[in-house]
Amino acid sequence: MTAMQEREEIAAKLLAFIRNSFLAGDPQGELTGDTPLLALGILNSLNTATLIAYTQEEFGVKVPLHDVSPENFKSVDSLSSMVHERRSTADA
Amino acid sequence: MTGPGSLHDLLIESAARTPGALAVDGPGGTATYAELDARAGALAGVLAARDVRRGDRVLVWGPKTPDTLAAMQAVLRLGAAYVPVDPLSPVARVVTIAREAGARVLCAPADLLPRVPDDAGELPVRVGTAARPGAPVRTTRVLTGRDEPAYILFTSGSTGTPKGVTISHGNALAFVRWAVTELAASPEDRFANHASLTFDLSVLDIYAAFSVGATVCPVPTEVAQVATRLVDFLHRHRITVWYSVPSVLALMRREGGLLDRPAPGSLRALLFAGEPFAIHHVRELAAWTGARMLNLYGPTETNVCTCHEVRPGDLTRGVPVPIGRACSGDRVWARTSDGRTAGPGEEGELLVSGPTVFLGYWGRPPQRGPYATGDRVRVRADGSFDYLGRNDGQVKVRGHRIEPSEVTAALHTHPEVLEAAVVALGDGLDRRLAAFVHRAPGSALGNIALRRHLARSLPPQMIPDEVHFVDELPRNDRGKLDLAALVAHHNP
Repeated sequence: MTAMQEREEIAAKLLAFIRNSFLAGDPQGELTGDTPLLALGILNSLNTATLIAYTQEEFGVKVPLHDVSPENFKSVDSLSSMVHERRSTADA
Repeated sequence: MTGPGSLHDLLIESAARTPGALAVDGPGGTATYAELDARAGALAGVLAARDVRRGDRVLVWGPKTPDTLAAMQAVLRLGAAYVPVDPLSPVARVVTIAREAGARVLCAPADLLPRVPDDAGELPVRVGTAARPGAPVRTTRVLTGRDEPAYILFTSGSTGTPKGVTISHGNALAFVRWAVTELAASPEDRFANHASLTFDLSVLDIYAAFSVGATVCPVPTEVAQVATRLVDFLHRHRITVWYSVPSVLALMRREGGLLDRPAPGSLRALLFAGEPFAIHHVRELAAWTGARMLNLYGPTETNVCTCHEVRPGDLTRGVPVPIGRACSGDRVWARTSDGRTAGPGEEGELLVSGPTVFLGYWGRPPQRGPYATGDRVRVRADGSFDYLGRNDGQVKVRGHRIEPSEVTAALHTHPEVLEAAVVALGDGLDRRLAAFVHRAPGSALGNIALRRHLARSLPPQMIPDEVHFVDELPRNDRGKLDLAALVAHHNP
C-alpha cells in the first residue's frame, strides 16, 4: 500500500469512528476531512480521550503528551497525518 | 497590613529572594523566577511603548506558557487589568470579549495574533508575547490601590452576552493570602495548574506559588480532560498541591487508573471546587492518599469564600461533603425566602460579604453590599453549610459554568431554527450539554452546520455535546417549555 492509500484508510476509519461515536451517525454526511473538530465542539474534552484510546487500539499508536495539540486534533486530516507519521516511525 | 499591596508584587518579591528557583515548569515551558520576572519586565516595556496605561484592559490570549504568564504580570505592572482568553476560543468570542471589556490591546503569541482580522475594528494594538532579545526591560511598576481592577474573568451570561467579573488587587490578595496560610505553602511546593487561566481556580495555583517562590506546573489546555495524561502529569511533575473541579478527579479515577498506582509521595493536598463531588469518589480518594482534602466553594464573583476540610466523619454520610464555613476573611450567611438569616437546619440563599467580593461586572454598576450567590444552602448544626443547588437555570458541565439561555439565544439566531432548548443531561462525569432543536419546515440544517453557526459566537465548552433534532418540544399544562420533561426523557 502506498503512503497515500495508508493515510486515506486511516482517515476513513477515523471519519467512521467520529460519525458513529460523536455525531449520531452523521445522517447528512456533513463530516469531512477538514471539518474543524475542536472549534465546533465535536471533539470536546471528554471524547478526545475516547478518540485517543481508539487510535491506540485501532492503529497501535500511542499519542505522546506533546502531540495532543490543537494542531494535531483540529481535523480528521491532521489526525490522519499524525497517526500515519507515528505509525511509520514505529515501523522503521 | 503586611505584605505586598499589589498582586504583581508577589512575583517581583519572589524573584528578588530566589531568582534561580523554578517559577513555571510544565509541557508548555519552564522559567526561573529571574527569567519570568525579566520577561514580564520586557513585555511591560513593549506595552508601555504602545500606550498601555493605568486602568486600561489588555486581552491576554494564549496557551499556558511562561510567556502568557509573563504577559499577565506585565499588564499588572502598568496598573492595567488583564483579561485572559482561552487559547481554543473562536475569534468571534475574542472580539466580543474585547468589546465588552473595552480593550484596545491584544497580547498573544505570534501564531494567534493574525487570526483576529484587521478589519474587526476591535483590538487595534497587537503585541506578541514571545521574548524579544534586547528589548528594554521596564523595572518600574505602578503601586496599585486595593480597589483597582487586576483582572476580568468572563463568564456565561443569562442574557446571551458574557459578563466580565472584575476582580481587584485586594480581592485576589485576600484569597491568595488565605490559601497560602491554610495550605502552609512553601518554596518546595509544586502546584498543579489544571484549570484554564480564564477560570478562577487558576488564581490559587499561580499566585499561591508566586507568593512563596514555589513552582506552578500548568497542564496544557488540550490534555485537561485526557485522564491518562493527567495521572501521568501528577506523578511525573511530583505535584504537591492539586486543585481541580471534582469531575476531573472522577475522570482520572475512572479512565486514567488514578487509584491503580500508589498515590505520589509528593502529594500533600487535594483541593476541589466548582461542583458537588459524589461522596463515593471522596471515600476512595481518602483511602488512596493521606493528603489533606479540601472542598472549596465560591462563585467567580467572590472566589473561594467557604472551605471544608474532609474528615473521617464526613465519609460515612451519603451526601457530598459540606462546603464548610467562611474563609478568605469573608462573612457568609444564608437568607431564607422571607428575608431572615437562616438558623441551623434551615435553607436559604448564600450571601457573602468581605474582602473577596468583586468590584462588579465590567461596564455595569459597581457591586455594593453583600453578594447574593444564587446558590441554595442548608445551615448545619455547627453553623457550616451544605450545598443544595442553584436558584436559577445555571448549570455546570465539566466544571464550566454555563447559562443554557445563552446557548439557546445563540441557537435562535440561526434563521432555520424555529425553537430550541438547551439542558444539561447526566450526572458527574457523564454530565453534558444537550440542545433540542425544532427546525423550520423544509429545513435540512445539519448537526455540523449548526455547530458552525454556534462557533461564531460561543467558546467550545458552550457548544452542546449533543444536538437532537426534534419535531416538537415538550410543554407543560400552561404551555411553557417543559425542560424537566426533556431531562427526564433523556436521562437513563
